[in-house]
Amino acid sequence: MFDELAGDLIELFGRGVDAPLPDDEFDAWARRVFGFQFRSNPVYRRFCVGRGVEPDRLESWMEIPAVPTRAFKRLPLVSGDPDRVEAVFRTSGTSLGPGKRGEHRVRSLALYRASLLPSFRAHLLPDDARLPALSLVPSPEAVPDSSLSRMIGVVFDELADGGEWVLDPEGGIREDALRGALAEAEAEGRPLLILSTAFALVHWIDAMDREGWRFRLPEGSRIMETGGFKGRSRTLERGAFYRALEERLGVPAHRIVNEYGMTELLSQFYEPVMREGRSPADAVPSDRRHVAPPWVRTRVLDPGDLSELPPGEPGLLSHLDLANAGSVAAVLTEDMGVEVGEGFRVLGRAAGAEPRGCSLAMDELLGAAEEGR
Amino acid sequence: MTAFRAWSFPESFSWSGRTAEVRCEPGGGRIAHPLLDGNEARALAGRIRTAGEEVLARYPVARIVRVLGRVGERFLDPGDRLAREALDRLPHAVGLSAAMAERVLEGMARDWTVGRLRSLVEAEFPDPAVLDEFRPGHRGTRIRALGPRLGLHVSAGTVPGVSVTSLLRGLLVKSAVLLKPGRGDAVLPVLYARGLREEDPELAGALAVVYWPGGAGEAEEALLEEADAVVVHGGNDAVRRLRDRTPVTARFVAYRHRLSVGLVGRGALDGERGAGVADAAARAVAIFDQRGCVSPHAFFVERGGQASAREWARTLARSLKRIEEALPSGPLLPEEAAEIQQVRGTAELEAAAEPGREVHHGGGDAPWTVVVEPGAGFTPSCLGRVVRVHPVDRLEEALEALRPVRPHLQTVALACVDERRGKLAEAIARAGAARICALEDAPWPPAWWHHDGSGALRSLVRWVDLEP
Repeated sequence: MFDELAGDLIELFGRGVDAPLPDDEFDAWARRVFGFQFRSNPVYRRFCVGRGVEPDRLESWMEIPAVPTRAFKRLPLVSGDPDRVEAVFRTSGTSLGPGKRGEHRVRSLALYRASLLPSFRAHLLPDDARLPALSLVPSPEAVPDSSLSRMIGVVFDELADGGEWVLDPEGGIREDALRGALAEAEAEGRPLLILSTAFALVHWIDAMDREGWRFRLPEGSRIMETGGFKGRSRTLERGAFYRALEERLGVPAHRIVNEYGMTELLSQFYEPVMREGRSPADAVPSDRRHVAPPWVRTRVLDPGDLSELPPGEPGLLSHLDLANAGSVAAVLTEDMGVEVGEGFRVLGRAAGAEPRGCSLAMDELLGAAEEGR
Repeated sequence: MTAFRAWSFPESFSWSGRTAEVRCEPGGGRIAHPLLDGNEARALAGRIRTAGEEVLARYPVARIVRVLGRVGERFLDPGDRLAREALDRLPHAVGLSAAMAERVLEGMARDWTVGRLRSLVEAEFPDPAVLDEFRPGHRGTRIRALGPRLGLHVSAGTVPGVSVTSLLRGLLVKSAVLLKPGRGDAVLPVLYARGLREEDPELAGALAVVYWPGGAGEAEEALLEEADAVVVHGGNDAVRRLRDRTPVTARFVAYRHRLSVGLVGRGALDGERGAGVADAAARAVAIFDQRGCVSPHAFFVERGGQASAREWARTLARSLKRIEEALPSGPLLPEEAAEIQQVRGTAELEAAAEPGREVHHGGGDAPWTVVVEPGAGFTPSCLGRVVRVHPVDRLEEALEALRPVRPHLQTVALACVDERRGKLAEAIARAGAARICALEDAPWPPAWWHHDGSGALRSLVRWVDLEP
């Protein structure tokens, strides 16, 4: 049952991100995925029934109950046998320790690849370039449960002209290797594809400043950056961040693409700056937005009652991702965002903030316990 | 509504008059606050310190009690214009519903009356005249208690009235007080200071109230240098920031993050009593929209009573629903609402996965949420009337579960048969709590409580011994 569904979805995703998926077709797909998940995931089924939603009585895909991202930390949300999965992706560890990491059990890596490749190609390689790639993200061998590492591994295999992991096993940048690769690309005039977290790039900016290194990467070089700084590097405002990269690497802001992804979703969102051929003046971070592939729909909800907000009002982002067919497709995030054109702009993390009042965030609690030791 | 002018200075103090405005979220009120530079702040400190030395020193403590109490009592009179303005402003300033703001003002101001303030002084000083003169002490030593010359009080903004309680404590020990309230709690101390200027302008010269966005600025630095005592109510980060900048020679009194829980013994689950206990528990959660340090985060309910813990949790949910009508919740920040969605959805899925778990909530209409989670454990609540109920075999298990939060434990509200109270109290005390009370009393500790384990007035004074 799943294999057939996954096969059909792979075919759908294979049509690429330019193939339109009208509302009624998306609705039909979402119903099919929901029906499968309702039948094969008893926990999710009881959750939906508790919310008064069943596949036969669904008016629209928008009624499909969304699972909060927090639940991935507590339950294996697989539709099917939780032990028969091809991979387990985990959210990055926090101070809460490994036991509290979110977990996404992936039934079909083929489906995952089928979703990620067309999106990546459309947003980072709209010119069909085949470039040598560098990753400032640890390899999947080093971090097998990181979806980001896995994604870059797939990109190396399928879309790049070879790839190099420039982090050591401890997660530090192998500075000489990276410097060598950048210098070589500059000398040979071969454009590069760089894939990194934002904080690793900040560390690299700091290293370049410390050593006095500067590069002018050839025209056509590009950067995919993702994630925030998360207290893992100093925080830079995005305009300053992109300027710093442009000054030190010679990659202009209109060829720096932010990817917004989460372990809980098997599809990714990108800023379409390269895809839309934005001019340098048109690529300022404050004007950017993220867009989804056709098989993901995003809604902006009132955090109080989860009703849909009128366009332009900020609210909670809730996604329905058909690539999540093997787990749960409808996911309520902790991120605030606002609808912009055909996409959305992420405004920041909403939940998990320190509550108003005489309470304390879990992190602080543990921090205090540590201080007390 | 116009911006609230969040300051009250002695009349003789002159300053540039420059102000700025900030918004109070999520209540939507606006407050205007002075932009004092370092010199102005030092001048202000000097002015009220002098008034303190001239006036407070001359007033017997009994007279101070009468003056302060008479002003406090005005907030209990719904016809009084101070009380009226307070009730107009509070909901927008602190983000409580109008009904809740009224309830909170009544509860807080009850402790600002002549009678309660006198009890507070007597509880702290068996011979209150030590605040006026040398008095007989132990074995012929004569003793005297002196408050700081100038206390800088920095209070939080989550529970209105805490700042007034803090300034009263300072004035009672004859300390000049410069209060910087939290953004949400600027209304009451400013109105109180206004009332004090009307009641006794001389004494009021020893009090200044001024809000500024905390954390930096010349004025804050200057005042930290000027004060000989710094009293802080706030989160651990705020306390740490101020502690690090307070001169070592100044006394530092901190009321930091605290949390509270309720314990319900099996004997308290019988029929009507169980319903009454659940109602009191719901009220304890609802007051201040659970943002007080005295507000319970969780209830541990013993198995083996007439009603099961799950049944009790359902009664609790029904009570929270009912209270929502009489004392509605205030508005939530988007991140608070988002957090509640995460908590609810996750709890619903866990309930779908595991028998014994349950979740009840007010849906899109109200934030109240009850999560039944079998077994002892403790997760701090995200607040806003979100509470966990843990069925346990024995209440003692709860104390074990609370070990990680021992440094933060404050009130343990206890409902059980009388015979067990003494023994449980001993165990709760050893678990780190500072206060054990009945559920219905949880939101309202008496004026004379040992706030977070110390004497509220004694922690401010310096003792002087005159040996024979």
